[in-house]
Amino acid sequence: MDPAIRQALCDGERLGGRYALQVPQMAASGWTGSRSGRRTGSSIDFQDYREYQLGDDLRFIDWGIYARSDRLTVKLFREEVTPHLDLILDGSLSMNLENTAKARATAGLAALLATAAANAQCTQAVWLSGEGFQRLPNDTLVSSTWDKLTWDSRRTLDQSFEILAPKFRRLGVRVLVSDLLWPGSPLQTLRRLRDGAAALFVIQLLGRDDVNPPDHGNLRAVDCETGEETEVYVDATVAKQYAGNLAQLQQSWADGCRQCGTRMTTIVAEAFENSLGELESIQLLTPA
Amino acid sequence: MIPFLTYPLALMALASLPALAAIYILRNRFRRRQVSSLVLWSFHVQSKPGGAKIHRLQLPLLFFLELLGLLLLVVAAAGPHWQLPQSTRPLIVVLDDSFSMRAVCDNLSAQARAAEFLEKLFRRQPPPSTRFILAGTQPRLLGASVQSWPEAAQLLPQWKCWSPGAAIDSAITLAAELGKQQANILVLTNHKPADEKISNPRLEWHAFGSPLDNLAIVNASRTAFGDQDRCLLEIANYSGEARTTKLLVQAGSNDVQRSIISIGAHGQQRLIFNIPAAAPVLRASLDPDALAEDNEVQLLQPVRKRVRVQVALTNAALNSLVNRTLEATGLRAALSDNPELVIRESDTIISSNSWSLRWLSSTGAIAYVGPFILDRSHPLAEGITLEGVVWAAAALTNAPGEVPILLAGNTPLLSAREDALGRRHLTLNFNPGLSTLQNTPDWPILFWNLLQWRAAESPGLKESNARLGTEVNLKTTGEPVTVIMPDGTTTVFPKTGGDLALETPMPGLYSVVAGPSTNRFAVNPLAADESDLSRCATGLWGVWGEETERRLEETSAVWMFGLAALAILVAHLYLLAAGKGGR
Repeated sequence: MDPAIRQALCDGERLGGRYALQVPQMAASGWTGSRSGRRTGSSIDFQDYREYQLGDDLRFIDWGIYARSDRLTVKLFREEVTPHLDLILDGSLSMNLENTAKARATAGLAALLATAAANAQCTQAVWLSGEGFQRLPNDTLVSSTWDKLTWDSRRTLDQSFEILAPKFRRLGVRVLVSDLLWPGSPLQTLRRLRDGAAALFVIQLLGRDDVNPPDHGNLRAVDCETGEETEVYVDATVAKQYAGNLAQLQQSWADGCRQCGTRMTTIVAEAFENSLGELESIQLLTPA
Repeated sequence: MIPFLTYPLALMALASLPALAAIYILRNRFRRRQVSSLVLWSFHVQSKPGGAKIHRLQLPLLFFLELLGLLLLVVAAAGPHWQLPQSTRPLIVVLDDSFSMRAVCDNLSAQARAAEFLEKLFRRQPPPSTRFILAGTQPRLLGASVQSWPEAAQLLPQWKCWSPGAAIDSAITLAAELGKQQANILVLTNHKPADEKISNPRLEWHAFGSPLDNLAIVNASRTAFGDQDRCLLEIANYSGEARTTKLLVQAGSNDVQRSIISIGAHGQQRLIFNIPAAAPVLRASLDPDALAEDNEVQLLQPVRKRVRVQVALTNAALNSLVNRTLEATGLRAALSDNPELVIRESDTIISSNSWSLRWLSSTGAIAYVGPFILDRSHPLAEGITLEGVVWAAAALTNAPGEVPILLAGNTPLLSAREDALGRRHLTLNFNPGLSTLQNTPDWPILFWNLLQWRAAESPGLKESNARLGTEVNLKTTGEPVTVIMPDGTTTVFPKTGGDLALETPMPGLYSVVAGPSTNRFAVNPLAADESDLSRCATGLWGVWGEETERRLEETSAVWMFGLAALAILVAHLYLLAAGKGGR
């Protein structure tokens, strides 16, 4: 793996130490863990009483109540679970656009979120899109041990879904990190990601070159994924139209997110470290 | 061909145009740049897909504006000039005023042809201002500047062509001085220039004459010859073959002479005859030909002025000698009460207008044999030689105020002074007893000069027949003078100072009224050069505006190109600011 990416993972891990993943209530489920779930479990935290039903663990019958009222009553304790974070990284070539910090920012952001998830007693899985969704090696460990984090796919997320859909954990928190720059319906993608998830966060990571068009002059734009080219003379009008297109794209994703109950934010890769407040504002992170 | 661009070196700046094009072509090469997706670039018209087709070079509007601006600046720097009808040079027209311009060919004179040409010139391209110079014997400006043909036509009637010669070279010099080397000069005449290769680029010489056969009276005079008048007529044949003409000479209504005259090619014939002094105006005429003006002359009786002389010398022998001498001159009039010249030994003045000659004939005279110092410019000294003359005179010194005319050493022999009234007082220091002057031709010459001088100073005309263009001198006593020209026009000189030189702008009989007296004089067009029409020609010599002075002649158009370039640059700036410079 590229040393710069490795360094970015380390940096993200360091940054993530200051944050914890803000796990929503719906996500309080999962494997038995150390975090209180929203259902009854086997923790020592008392939750409620209810009448005994066939099959209940006899160990939780409150014998004192039975003695006083001759009724079998079961003590219910809060479930202790381990929430889960599914981190979905866009592995397409556009996330490693030349002359931008998108790849490093993606790596750093992923490491930060993973560390924040660990701080929130969450497990994690890191999915990288490509020829289907693949998990990163060692993705359950600390981020600095991840491997094969590369952006060399020419597939969009939708295409990756078609090839091999990820096996997200139900009621987990899912975070998509992508530039979202592909044609198609955002709603379809969002529904696929949102299905079975306790929460879905969409982080649009753009390079500065994505946000700001090039200077005036003739430009032959080459799509880094498809290799298609287009020639355009960039002037103020074109720049304005470009900004309009970007805003329109972002608006369509925002509309999709609103329909799916998803929160979305946009981060400029080159200003990644200064944009962590955005993650707090969408209630993804909270100071640890 | 008009040099549209005055500074061809500036055209080298055109190299900036391909430079600009190269800059734009290089600048407009599409910079290849990877983008995350073409989704955001889907708004514009995409270029045609690549392949074997040639891509049209796509250049923004700014490029063409800059190209045009540069082109305009280059052209402006090259100093473009073009000739605009409104901005041609001023014109100075030299009009040949000699009477040979009146020669008629095909019922049209050279003067009329020239006027026609001038009118066409004005109609075609009127100069911003035009001045006329009449080239007579002396060049003369004709009126003020004119701007149009009607104004010019008002001046042209003064172009009468009655001058006995045409000083065209002087007129061209005057025109060049007036035009300060900037004006075009147009010469309208009937002969070709002396140097057919005209070096002045501002001069055009148009000749409208034709070589014609002409018989002319080129010389005519009527002089006093005792009791009669002697007449001279000289007739010239300016043709290449012998010609015959009929000469008619009339004195009043009487025919003096009627004869057929045959003259060989380029020959001349003189006729001399006497007529009575009392005969009135003598008219001589030839058969009509191409130039009618030189076929007729009029001769008036010559002026016969006499001087009333009173000789009051006490020496009888001297008195007799002087009287005989005065009678011999033929200029002495019968004495009346008012002598015009008094010869005496004292210095007294007899009348208000008389001159005096004081005779000093003292006995203690010294005989001088020379050398004599003579003021040759004095009227009294004309023709006097004093060779071998013994002049006896008293050894005196010059009196104050007297100007010596003749000296022997420091002894004045003849001196003169003028008093406040303009009268002359002469002093003759001469003793005839010891002298030989009275036995020499200088003696009657001296007295003839004396009377002639006195007669010339008396009022009236000096001559009665003059050549066209010469001045006729009139001696007046200060009274107003009225001159009636042959065409009837009258000129009044209200105050004259004594001498009046009368111009003779046209042939004919002039009348001069000075106080109670009326005098007449005749003016005849006698000019052999003008009568000779064999050298007349038609043609054009010289053309205005050589290549070397083209720039001075044309109007600069730099400002137009500069203004257009400025407008282009403003548009360029606007498009740049508005961001509309692209396609």
